[in-house]
Amino acid sequence: MKKKMFAVLLAAVVSVSAVLTGCGQSSDSTGAAGENASDAQGNSDASAQSTGERTKITALLKGTESTEQFQVFDYLLSNFCEERGLEYEIELVNDMQDYFTKLQMYINSNTLPDIYGCPNGTLSRACLDIDAMVDVGAELERNGYYDKMNGAIIDFLTDADDGNLYLFPQGLYCEYFMYRTDIFEQAGVTEAPTTWAEFEEACEKIAATGEIPVIVGGSDAWQLMRYLSFSPWRVTGSDFITDYQAGTDSFSENESAEYAVELLNRLGTEGYFEPGFASVDFTSACNLFFGGTGAIFYTGSGQIGLAEDMYDEGMLGFFPVPDTEGMDNMSTNVPIHAGFAEGFNKATYDDTMQDFFDYMCENFSESCYTKAQIFSPFNEELPEGLPQLYYDTQPMFATAETAWTSWDDKLDSDVLTKIVDEQQKLAQGITTPDEFIDTCDSLISK
Amino acid sequence: MQKAFGKKSIILLFIFPAFLVYTLFVIVSIIWAGYYSFFDWSGVGEKVFIGLQNYAELLIKDEVFRLTVWHTVIYTVINVLIQVFGGLLFAILLSRVTKGRTILQTLYYVPVVISSVAICQIFSKLLSVTPTGVVNQLLSVFNPALKVMEWTSNPNISLYVTAFVEGYKYLGLYMVIFYAALIGVPDELGEAARIDGASLFQEYWSVRIPYIKPVIIANCLLVLNGSLRSFEFSYLLTHGGPGNASELMTTYMYKQAFTSMKYGYGSAVAIMIVIICLIVGVIFKKLTGEEAEG
Repeated sequence: MKKKMFAVLLAAVVSVSAVLTGCGQSSDSTGAAGENASDAQGNSDASAQSTGERTKITALLKGTESTEQFQVFDYLLSNFCEERGLEYEIELVNDMQDYFTKLQMYINSNTLPDIYGCPNGTLSRACLDIDAMVDVGAELERNGYYDKMNGAIIDFLTDADDGNLYLFPQGLYCEYFMYRTDIFEQAGVTEAPTTWAEFEEACEKIAATGEIPVIVGGSDAWQLMRYLSFSPWRVTGSDFITDYQAGTDSFSENESAEYAVELLNRLGTEGYFEPGFASVDFTSACNLFFGGTGAIFYTGSGQIGLAEDMYDEGMLGFFPVPDTEGMDNMSTNVPIHAGFAEGFNKATYDDTMQDFFDYMCENFSESCYTKAQIFSPFNEELPEGLPQLYYDTQPMFATAETAWTSWDDKLDSDVLTKIVDEQQKLAQGITTPDEFIDTCDSLISK
Repeated sequence: MQKAFGKKSIILLFIFPAFLVYTLFVIVSIIWAGYYSFFDWSGVGEKVFIGLQNYAELLIKDEVFRLTVWHTVIYTVINVLIQVFGGLLFAILLSRVTKGRTILQTLYYVPVVISSVAICQIFSKLLSVTPTGVVNQLLSVFNPALKVMEWTSNPNISLYVTAFVEGYKYLGLYMVIFYAALIGVPDELGEAARIDGASLFQEYWSVRIPYIKPVIIANCLLVLNGSLRSFEFSYLLTHGGPGNASELMTTYMYKQAFTSMKYGYGSAVAIMIVIICLIVGVIFKKLTGEEAEG
């Protein structure tokens, strides 16, 4: 009898726990989720009740209170909500992986907030699948801001499948190499390199003086991946990586990709990167370079605040991505991207949110320059009083129409993860360029 | 009162809350992971049922997984050596010290209360190559070439360095447990051994250490369990790299599920970790149980 009672109790416990877990797991509905927008409206805590007045605007952003996305949206939302007597709530998740997990959770449960940070790729596609993305392009056409937006930024965020624009840029980011003028002079490098051959020649001369030629944050995947992407991007635009993912091109068949593999291997194994580069993250690399170590650093407009003083003193110069010699390079040589973009939840996009969208467009540039110190994605005249580096670098991208091709967005997550592991081994000389090419090409054929 | 505690219903009442929590957070999670492991699922969108395909790929094709199993074994052995045997050694030394024992005990215990994230941050600074960290700076006094010695980014040693850092953090914890066990050994036993002519080494080897054998076995099991499931040190110090040089089963599971967005495959790795932990636990229990009986 007692045994029976215990068995019943055990069964009850398991059943209750299964039910409770089921309550927390609405992911089962994922497959069918999103077909009914009103469901999402009901589920969402975004305060866009169909029956009552909106009282709150909610946002999920990646970063901390000191990162650009928060600073821009906190400024815009606080001003807008104060005018309208609304509340606003920004949920911040700093770690990239944690952010993606959180976003996936919201997508699966169809409870996305009014505004959410989202990169262009797998996750934006998942948001589209549940019909949770406002057509930002159409909204920009409506309020007259589409033509003002930088062409390269539109190119960067345009959906690969249907050609629409569903994401609003975080800002305009341009990337370039910064170099120490004094170290270049000391090493006898008189001109900034314009080709990769000149780049390597400069590295050799700098290394001979005992200085570290290049600082790289090798533990952050994107830093080494840039060196793999530069040459294919300059020569083929987005074609190589798109075709590679589709299985119609490969590292072994593409001359520019093969060149990039050998370049990364040479830079790493010739000792042009700082010792222990594989364990240095981007923040530490910034601290190293702007703290006075190393001659060249791949950075960009996001670090103007750090570079400002040294640049004003004449210690720093900048140059764009060098040409791949012997191949046809496109004219755009400055990678331009939109950072971590934002999507607007279609299910909660009511008149208030539309008003906020218009307010955001009107005030976005001001917010970018005064609060976050980043370039605005709208082609407008720069305000006065900014660091000189803004004015000097802006001409490089003012008329650019071709965006940077981010491999993170184009590659399947699994392939990307494996390439990240392989590129570190390549740069450290653990694998040879041929082995790298074989491995990476087999990832797709698998 | 004593009578009430003897009743099975009362015992059940006390066990029930813990059992409920355990079922909710452990058993149910394992069941869910097992369920997901039969699907091809990216974490968003539709799940496609693929039966045992994830397991087949994991066990037959996936060379990295096999590598992570081997890494985890090495990692566990190093941790058992440092935490259990290192802890025992420190406890013996501590039991021989009369002056400043409390200070030493506190100092050795400090890493246990510091968070793993902070410990990893401290070690990444200590072992830094550029800028030169304290360790390399000191080593360069003996050999200038060691100034650029790579610790966490050298594929040949990154696994050992990671294991050492975890061992360092928890050594103090096991030292305290062993110390408490050692001071519980009746002095008469030691005195009798010494009267019989035993040296200090023999006294510990033949009397005191055998006396605390159950504690050693319990600690071994705890370290074994902790090391097989260890995640944060490898992830925070080396991200499992360079390449997969310090990848453990847990970091591999995390990467598969959350970085590669293969939730189904990641769940299959998680289930394999559970199975491996159970097998190792059962073997260890069998070995130590038989020994105790013998």
